[in-house]
This record gives sequence, structure tokens and C-alpha cells, in this order.
Amino acid sequence: MRLGVFVLTAVLAQASVPVIANKCAGCHSGASPRGNLDVTTREALLRGGSRGPAVVPGNASASLIYKAAAHQAEPHMPMGAPKLASQDLESLAAWINSGAHFEQPVKATAPTHWAYQAPRKAQAPAGIPARWSANPVDAFVAAGHKQKNVQPVEPADPRTLIRRAYLDLTGVPPTAAQVEQFAADPSAAAYTRVVDQLLQDPRYGERWGRHWMDIWRYSDWYGWRKAGDVRFSARHIWRWRDWIVEALNSDKSYAAMIREMLAGDEIDPGNPDVVRATGFLARQYHKYDRDGWMQDAVDHTALAFLGTTLKCARCHDHKYDPLSQKEYYQFRAFFEPYNIRTDRVPGEVDVTKAGLARVFDAELDTPTYLYIRGDVKAPDRAASLDPAVPGAMGGRVAPIEPVSLPQSAYYPDNRAFVHQDLLAQAKADLERAETELRKAKESSAAAEKIQAAEKSLAAAKAFVPALQARIAADRAKFADPPDPKYEDLAAAAKKAEREAGILKADAEVFSAMLDLNEARAKAKPGSVADEKAVTAAFKRVNDAQSALTQPAGEGGYTPVGKQYPDRSSGRRLALANWIAANANPLTARVAVNHIWARHFGKPLVASVFDFGLNGKRPSHPELLDWLAVEFMESGWSMKKLHRLLLTSETYKMASTSGIGDHPSARTDPENIALWRMNSRRMEAEIVRDAILSVSGVMDPAMGGPDLDEGKGFDVYRRSIYFRHSPDTQMEFLRTFDMASPAECYERNESVVPQQALALANSKLSRDQSRALAKKIREAHPQPEAFARAAFETILGRPPTGEELPLAAKAQPENLVHVLFNHNDFITIR
Amino acid sequence: MGFTGLALGAMLHRDGIARAATTGVWTPPDGKPHFAPKAKRVIWLFMIGGASQMESFDPKPELNKYAGKKFADTPHAGVLTNPLVKQNLREVIAGLHKTHAFIYPLQVGYKKRGQSGIEVSDWFPHVGECIDDIAVIRSMWTTDNNHGAQIQFHTGRHSLEGQFPTLGSWIHYGLGSLNDNLPQFVVLGEPIDTCCGGVGAHGASYLGPEHNGVQLNVDAKNPLLFATPSISPEEQRREFELLHELNGIAGARYPDDPAMRARIKSYELAFRMQTAVPEVMRFSTESEATRRMYGLDQDVTRPFGEICLAARRLAETGVRFVQVFHGQNGGAGKWDAHSNLKKGHTELCAQTDKPVAGLLRDLKQRGMFDDTLVVWCTEFGRTPGCQGTNGRDHHPYGFSIWMAGAGVKGGTVHGATDELGFHAVEHRHYVTDLHATVLHLLGLDARRLEVPGRKRLEIDFGAPVREVMA
Repeated sequence: MRLGVFVLTAVLAQASVPVIANKCAGCHSGASPRGNLDVTTREALLRGGSRGPAVVPGNASASLIYKAAAHQAEPHMPMGAPKLASQDLESLAAWINSGAHFEQPVKATAPTHWAYQAPRKAQAPAGIPARWSANPVDAFVAAGHKQKNVQPVEPADPRTLIRRAYLDLTGVPPTAAQVEQFAADPSAAAYTRVVDQLLQDPRYGERWGRHWMDIWRYSDWYGWRKAGDVRFSARHIWRWRDWIVEALNSDKSYAAMIREMLAGDEIDPGNPDVVRATGFLARQYHKYDRDGWMQDAVDHTALAFLGTTLKCARCHDHKYDPLSQKEYYQFRAFFEPYNIRTDRVPGEVDVTKAGLARVFDAELDTPTYLYIRGDVKAPDRAASLDPAVPGAMGGRVAPIEPVSLPQSAYYPDNRAFVHQDLLAQAKADLERAETELRKAKESSAAAEKIQAAEKSLAAAKAFVPALQARIAADRAKFADPPDPKYEDLAAAAKKAEREAGILKADAEVFSAMLDLNEARAKAKPGSVADEKAVTAAFKRVNDAQSALTQPAGEGGYTPVGKQYPDRSSGRRLALANWIAANANPLTARVAVNHIWARHFGKPLVASVFDFGLNGKRPSHPELLDWLAVEFMESGWSMKKLHRLLLTSETYKMASTSGIGDHPSARTDPENIALWRMNSRRMEAEIVRDAILSVSGVMDPAMGGPDLDEGKGFDVYRRSIYFRHSPDTQMEFLRTFDMASPAECYERNESVVPQQALALANSKLSRDQSRALAKKIREAHPQPEAFARAAFETILGRPPTGEELPLAAKAQPENLVHVLFNHNDFITIR
Repeated sequence: MGFTGLALGAMLHRDGIARAATTGVWTPPDGKPHFAPKAKRVIWLFMIGGASQMESFDPKPELNKYAGKKFADTPHAGVLTNPLVKQNLREVIAGLHKTHAFIYPLQVGYKKRGQSGIEVSDWFPHVGECIDDIAVIRSMWTTDNNHGAQIQFHTGRHSLEGQFPTLGSWIHYGLGSLNDNLPQFVVLGEPIDTCCGGVGAHGASYLGPEHNGVQLNVDAKNPLLFATPSISPEEQRREFELLHELNGIAGARYPDDPAMRARIKSYELAFRMQTAVPEVMRFSTESEATRRMYGLDQDVTRPFGEICLAARRLAETGVRFVQVFHGQNGGAGKWDAHSNLKKGHTELCAQTDKPVAGLLRDLKQRGMFDDTLVVWCTEFGRTPGCQGTNGRDHHPYGFSIWMAGAGVKGGTVHGATDELGFHAVEHRHYVTDLHATVLHLLGLDARRLEVPGRKRLEIDFGAPVREVMA
């Protein structure tokens, strides 16, 4: 008998431990267990957590752990996950009733958090009404309607729908003709044709480019702008913006986009079109704070692509997610070697004027240390950390293989176009020197001035062959196979450079002496400013003289440009491959959620950047997973996903029930179950772009350097192209909640009187009202016809019988202005 | 100058909201107080980060007596084992802000002040002079020991439960307008950071965006962007009237769209704000004496002095609720004295003491003290223990706030913490008791502010603190 009990207890212990290990210990174990409850030992369970003892041995129904698991007491456990299966509950109860003995402490098994499990494509629910069963998206949503006991509303009227689709995909409203054409044939086939055509519209890339720029924290460079002092982000970062737009328009796979942004320089190092994608990492640059820079790179990579607040593990183990502080720094190690630089681009030798902002691995041997309590002054030098990805997310990075780089990548200034541009500039300098001398002679300048011009010319003349000689030597040095003439060419280059250098220094000494004499002659006794000018001129003379008398260097000639390491660590490529792999449980889900949010006005996972244990559960978990898998199976094609979403019945629903007390509004006021579409306010950029587009003045030019943010009312390019940084933003756009360039995973959608003032009083709406009124009036001089045309052009619908007489009474320009301020204009219904 | 259009109520009459109102189930507020109010308006001064109760309004000489000792080695060992430590606490991060072992002495002296003789720390000499007009509540508590307590202080709900309407938005929702030219709920100073609730701490959540606080700049040069119309006032008035009518007609089709209603209202307000706001932010009519009262003549006090003066001018012009923030630092807030408490609090008090006292004095001299309620508050207090060598950690178990002005019994101390300033032990008040008190003084019953489908919990309502009322 006694023996029997003993055996039974042991069996039960074995049976129950897996339940606890699999379903509880993921959160309730470790250094800071949730609710201070540790479930891994009997003692800990008896002690309990902040809600008191978790187990009363022998009495399951009085044990908190059982009551919570059986949903007999709050909080229902496992938190945010389905209730335990009944056999699990039974075995838990039996185990507690038999005394809650452990054979050995429980070890938390792999975390069971939903977002760390691979998404699976569930069978689309059956028994769904016909309207909702054709598109799997709809089937999942309809199942939710049934479950939440809500009634979906009717489809939106064709004019509303087509305006919604245009604004969603291109960021500009349809023309009146486009609306009417669709209203005449609003069939599903016609609608799908429009969607397909909009996905081919280059404005799609601009519209969605801006969305992804929010998530990828695009910012033009900032710092001390007046002094040209770049302290954050990088000059010419707009090339990355253009890459984003082009990548979207060509439907580059999202996986490839991730890979190129994190490691374009390792994937296709010789191709500037790919390398510009690394602007994502160049943007994280901090001039004065390497650790801050690394932090931003780590934190925003995890937030943007993995929906993970890895940043919380910088100073201590993550308090919610199974991410250790060590894993934070291991993740940092992927980025440790990288730095940024500006490569020359054809046609401009001055990289402050034009260039390619890019990253490269500069220091392959820099160790990564864990900072104790996140303190950068307390690196734990006991161990240098190798790159690794957080274990909880599954998978392992492939072995990291260094990437050997082509010469165009490690010695970019040895490219032919750079040589051509440098020579062209040297020749232009020479011509300028000739002109200067001619002018000096013609204007019969003082003899010293002529002499100075002669010396400058001599220096410029000598510079050209010296440059040619250096280029020749460089070419020989880096030729494959090495050119045997290199030694001779290097010696010649050294000699030519030395000669040119002497002439240049000579010219410089002479002109500095002239300045000094002039400064002395002009100096009034006692004037501090004049004294300073003399001192400065004197210093110039000294410097020039010392350059002149400096012995020739040991190393031979000066290479044409800077040489970088000829290998890259391969770390970022390994990381990128892990993030962009189909096996990563987070990447596709996070992306699909972002795309969903921007079509439906609300994400499926409310915490868009936090899919961790403290984040929100998906409102439609099966739908999210189905979409994630579908997305990956389609080759990570965003356009296919857009098409799938936009052709769903869910997307086509009206955004209003038309009545104020719809029963579903009481059951589900937040519209979690998606029983109607969410209406949205246009984002800041779209407000401006829509006004310019409707009034017909939008300049369709794409790409190029960032435009002056102060010129937004006078330069009619799309808003995406204007300078956008923490220091420089178009005020009109800021009023409408434009993205914070520091971080924006979701836009705010406020309604404040300042927006009314911006639309009512800005030059933008006034100028465009005037212009558009004039244009419409030319075609429709009659007041009623004018009013009708104005409504159709601006709001995408004709006026109602009630609206028409009011509108027809107004002065044309006033009516247009009023319609730009109309709620229906800035609302995407 | 205004424009006349259909009243919003009339416009919505066609839709279901008005119909719902006739069913007797629920009616939206009619804008009138539920009972006779003592206060017309509120100026709410919020110190971001957690100001120390022990170094402001709650002197604890025992701290000096046992300075450097372990709690456990003093007669007050019980504070750490008191069930209150766990009872109300709801940690976001378990164990992140532990109780500290050693007692940290007071970092500032105290004096009895005014007729009432209430002790106020030497960092608040000016506010101290006003103490006879102030009711100090020394027994506040909250449940979050991290800075989510900032949004919690304004919504009454722990940040883990999500965003809820803030006190200002409830007042905006419940009461009609005091004027037609300015928003009824204005935010001055830089609001709290996104770490701790962001705009949610002056947001309206499910009440709808029209009840959000409106941020204004205290900058006469740029009080409000786009405030200058390029057409004549008459022409603009006609435009706004037409817009109002057209929005009303179109809006009737979307009775379930709160953003539409908010937008219509935002236009009505914008029209009048464009002249009213620059006017309020222009201090040229203020006398030298008044400017000095707020410390505008000193660099240290000028920034917050200007905000306090603007708050008074807004209140005077008819803004119902002015929510003033002090101490935003792009994170948890400047008052968050984990280290260098003495240096930090000295500076912060120097920035705010004179302006706040100036505000109280100015309200008095203008006869506004009788119908303006001023609240000084912060999300939680600081621990009596020592963090590091010279700081105090977060402390939700007991802290101080004060009220002054309309309906408030000046020269009062209400509630108490234990001898170390650790636990609120006498007349304990959760933050919604303060909300209920403010609402009560405005003539509102918190329990009558509810929206269908949004069940409020008992803890949301709180109970008015009658002992501090005149």
C-alpha cells in the first residue's frame, strides 16, 4: 500500500512537471520571475509570489496556481495564451492533491511565447458566408465576427473605396475622371484592375517608402548645420531613401531589403546601387558617442525588424523577455566592426557636395565587452563576446565567414571615374590659374601680384603631371597581376609630387608674405583685430615655409585616396541572413503587422515594436500567422501582400455603420474584430501632397538630394523629398503629426485646432485654392457646375442636394479653399 | 468675433447619438455642473520625475536621528515589513526598485511658516510664505513604483492597464466652455516623455480627441503657428461658416466618427484662437511688479515664471484646465533624484518656488483665488532610504501634494506618513481621491462621468477629500 502511493506520487510528479516546465516556467523562473513567483522548486511554490503561496499541497482547488490555470481566479494563466488542455489541468490537480512533490527542480523549457514559435498557416475557417470565404483574410476576420458577436457593415460605396485605394497605395487622391470611371463600373474585376495598376504606379514607392522610412528611422543629417558639422546620420543619406523607393517599386523581396540594408557592402561590395542601402546603418552614426551609435544600431535593428525591445537588456537581463544582458552585447558584436564613410560619386570630387553614404567594416578586431549595469565606463574585460543571436528567438547564425572585397570597395579612389574627375579638376585649376595671371597682367596689377599669380600657375602646372604620376603608380600597384613597373612609377610619382609640392609651397609662402605685408601696412596701432590679422598672416608664412623645407617622406608618393580593409568581417551578413530567414519567427510577422496597420488603420498586434511577453497579443493570431507564412511563401513580395489585402472584403467595408448606436459599436467599440473599416486622417505628407496633386501642380520628379524644408509651400515636389531631421522639419507637416525622425513605429493621429489653422491660413492652401479655382472655372463657369466639379475634384464625390445650393452660393476661390479644409478631404474613409 | 453656425448638438440631432439620448439609458453631459461648484477653473502644476516629500512638505527629523543606520537597526524596522509594501504595489519590473537598507538624512532644513506654523522646507521659501493659503496632503499613495506613475497620476490607472481619459479631459468632457476663444484644456511646458505616457498624460483616450489637452507655446513671437489669415476677417468668417455647414451635412453620415466631431470643433476654436492666443501670450500689459512676482527678472526663474504667468492669463481668459509640466528631460524627468538629490532639488526648487508663489499671490491680488484651484503635484515621492551615496529611489507608498485657492481650506495639513515618511498611514489617499476632490470643487460627481460601453471601476472614482475643503 505504502509502496503503491509512493509510485503513484512519482508518476504524477513526472506527469505534472512538464506542464509547469512548458507552460509556467518560461516566465516564472530565473532572476526576476513574473509576479515574484518561481515555479521551479517545491519550496518556491509554497513560498509563492506577490499574490501569496501558489500551492496548498493536497488541495488543488485552494491552490492559486491551479485556480489561475483553470481560470477560476484572476489572473488567468498562462498569461495571454490559450487555457491549458483539460488533461493538463487534471494532471496538475492530481499532482497538487498528491502533495506537489518534485523529483528534481523544474528546468524552464524553451519559451513558449507565441511570437517565438514559427508561424503556421492554419486552415482558413469553414462555414463562413460566401461574401467572406473567397479570400482567406476574410475567412479569418469573419470567424472573429462570429466569435465576438458583431455584424460586419456593408461594403463602402465605390467612390469611397477607390479614393481609399488610391490614397493607400500612392498617397494621392484619384482624379475626378478616375473616380467616375470606377463608379461607372465598380465590379470586383474593375477594382482589382485598379489595384494592380496602382501597384505599378511609381508613386507607390514614394507612398510606402515614407512608411518604411518611419520604421527605419530615416533622418537627414543633423548637427551644426551652419558649420556643416555632421553629428548624426550622414550626408547624402537621401541615396538610401531613393533606394527604398526604388526597391519598393521593383518589388524587391523584403528579405533582400533587410539583407542589403544591414550588409549591402558585404553582399555586392562593388555595386553602389546596393551599397547605398546600408544608409540604414549610416543613419545610426553619432559623431561623439560610439556607444550611443552602437546602441542605436542594436536597438533599432531589433525594434524595426524583430519587433523586440532588446534595448531593455542593455543594463540588465530583460525583465519580460528571455533576453539576457549578455545576449544584448552579443548582438552588438555583429555591429562592432562597422563604421561609415563617404565614397566619391562620378562628377564631383568634393564628398561634402556629393557622395555615397555607406558603411564598411573598419576595425575587424575590436572586442565587444558587456558593460556592467550598462555603464560604458565598466566594460567586463574578462570576456570578449562573439556575435550571436538571442537563443529565445530560435535558430543560430550560420558560421561567420569573412568577405573578401574587390578593390573598388577597399580602394574606391582607384576607380577610373575618380581619376578622371580628379584630373579634370586639376586641369580646371590650371586653367583658372592661367586666367588669374592673364587678368593680373591685363589690369596691370602690382608686380608682386603678378609674381604671385605666376607662382600659382607654376604650382598648378606641376600638379597635373604629379597627379598623373600618382595615378599611374596607384594603378600599377593595384594591378592584377601587380605591374612590374610599379617601383619605377612610384619613384617617378614621388619625384613629381615633391616637385609640385615645392612649387605649391613656394607659391603659398609668397602669397602668405604678401598677405602679411598687407596686414602690417593696414594695421592701426592698438587695433586688436589688425594685430590678429597680422599674427594669422605670419602663421601662414611659417606654415608654408615649413612645408617647403620638410624632408621628403620615407613612404614614397601619396596615394590618390584612402585605402580601407580588404575584407569585411561577414558578421552583418550573417545577422541579416538570420533575420531575413523564413525560419525566423518574428521577421515576417512584424512586417505583415506594419503593412496591415497602414491599410486598416489599426495593427493586428497593437504593440507594433514589441512582440515580446510584455507586448500585446494579436487580435487575430491565426490571421497574422497565415499572412506571415503567405508573405514568406510569396518570396516576401510586398506587392502581392498589398494586393491580397486590398482585394479582401474586409478592406472593402465601409468605415461607418451610418448610425450612431450600431449594436456592434456597443459590443466592440474599438472595432477590434474589424466589423467595419477604420477611417483615418491623412498623414502629414499626404495632406500636403493631396493638395498639390488635386490642384494639378505636383512635380512628379522622383529622387535626389533633400530639399530645403523651408520651401515646402513653393516647391511642389512630394513631401518625402524635403529635409527631415530632428532639427529640420517642415512646420506644416509637424502640425499633422509627421514622424519623429528619432523613432516612429506608428504615427500619432491627433485632432487639434493648430491643424485647422494650418489648413486655413497657410500659403499652401491659399495659393492652391486660387490656382485650382481658376482652372475649374475655365471649364465650368456656371456656379452649380463649378460647385459640382469642385466637389468631385477635391472630395472625389458630387455634392448632395443639400450641399449643392450652399456651395454654389460661395465665391469659387472660397469654395475650393473650404473644400480643402473639409473633413472629408483629409479623411481616408 | 465668431461665426454662427448650427450648434453641434443640433447638427447631430439627425443621428443615433441624439436618439440614444432619448431612450433614457444614458445622456451625454449637458455642460453644467452636477451641483454648485466652488471652483471655476484649475491650474495643475505637475513636477515630472517624483519630487521628494521629505525635502518639501513632510519633515521627518527621525531621518536625521538615524541617518546612515539600517532600517532594521532602528525602532522603525517595521516600515519594511509592513504589509503595505506589497499590498498596493504593482511593479512593472519586478524587483527593479527595491527598498533600500540604509536611512538617508534630510537634505534640507525646515521652518514653521505663516500663522498656521506649517513646516515647509527651506527650498520653498516663497511657497512657504503662502502656506496659510495652502492645504497640504501628506498621505498620497500610488501603485506603480516606476514612472508609468506619471500617466497613472493623470488617469488613475496603472500604465499596464493601458490609456484612459485624464482628469483634464474628464473636466473638458463634463463641463461647458468658459469662453469661446480658447481651448478649455491647455497644456503648458514640455509634456512628459513617451517613456512614461507621453501625450497620454494629457489625452482623452476613449472620450475622443476633441477632449485632448491642447499644447501651446509660451512664446510671444511664436505662440501659435499659422495664426495669420491672408484674407479679410469678414471673408474668413464666411468661409468658416460655409465649412461648418458643409462639415455638418457630411458629418451626419458618420455619426460614429469622433474624429469628425473633434475636427468640427477644432475649426470653431481655431477661428477664434488665432487672435486670442497671441493676445494671451503677449505679456506687455503686465506691470513690472507682476513680472517680478513671477521671477521674470531672473534667469533662473524666468522660464517657469513665464509659464506660470501664461497659466494665470489663460485662466483669466477662461481656460478651464491648465496642465503645467515642469522638469521634462527626455526621460523620466528632472525631479527623479536617484543621485545628487541635494544639488538637483536645490536647482529645481529654485526654478519653480518663486514662480509658483508668484502665481498664488497674483491670483489673490486679482480676486481670482476664490474661483481658481491650484494643485501642485508629482507622480510619487522619494524613499527615506539612501540610493547610492546621495540619492533617493522612487517611492509610491507615501508622498505629498498640495492644493490652494477655490474651496480649499488654507493653512491645513491633512493625512500623515509614518515617522520616517515611508508609508502613508493616516487618511491614505490614492491619486483618484485627488481627482474626485478637484471634480467636486468644480461641481462634478466623478460617478456621473461615464460613457456607455466603458465601465469605470471603483478605483477610478476616488472620494473627495472633504477635510481640505473650506
